[in-house]
Amino acid sequence: MLSTAGGMEVGVVKVGTMSGRGFTPEEIAEQALDQIISIGNNSHPVIQAQAEAFRTEIGGVLLAYLKQAVASHNTTLTNRFLDAGHPELVKLLEV
Amino acid sequence: MAITIATAMPTSFKVELLKGLHNFTAGSTRFKMALFTAIASGSGTYGAATTNYSQMGADELATATGYTRPGQLLTSVTPVADGTTAILDFTNETWGSSTFTTCGGLIYDTGDSDSACAVLSFGGDQTVSSGDFQIQFPAAAAATAIIRIA
Repeated sequence: MLSTAGGMEVGVVKVGTMSGRGFTPEEIAEQALDQIISIGNNSHPVIQAQAEAFRTEIGGVLLAYLKQAVASHNTTLTNRFLDAGHPELVKLLEV
Repeated sequence: MAITIATAMPTSFKVELLKGLHNFTAGSTRFKMALFTAIASGSGTYGAATTNYSQMGADELATATGYTRPGQLLTSVTPVADGTTAILDFTNETWGSSTFTTCGGLIYDTGDSDSACAVLSFGGDQTVSSGDFQIQFPAAAAATAIIRIA
């Protein structure tokens, strides 16, 4: 039997909007996970459970490194502010 | 008057693919995304019949806080196969420190005379105020990828 199923489609994008701030490491980690792991609803329950566990594990690693990146960048900014003679701006980086 | 927009793959884009006019291989710096204004601020109709970035005209978001015409370059990921489906992906795109309202976007190819590749509706107006505005592309898989050829 011959099958001619096929087609060209455009996917659905998500829009993220923040008011008065940028994205947090937690939010960016979640976005990255959506790109890395996609779990189909029709997958076998065992496969779904394994995928969910893997997603949680990867999520934790991503979040930890994203937080390190933010902290490291703040260190860089701190030095730039100090070098530019604006030590008062360093306080703005404290969360 | 208002913008009418529907997520669609332009018919012209399908023809152009068969002519080999688009190359999404990673590293290409030719694909951009431009944003539309708020629904009530425009008047055009966009969807499968959209052929080129130039059609946006005044319906494109004006250069203002966080947005600069003619949109931002996208980072494409080299197309691959997922099963029997060819899929395309882009890295999420962020407009930082922005204040604007938009109802959709147009992906177009600056390497092919600004021809349209995808019309994206955001399902209504999306507003950002002194923050980040981000387009999050779907997972690169046969059932979800931003552009799929089955």
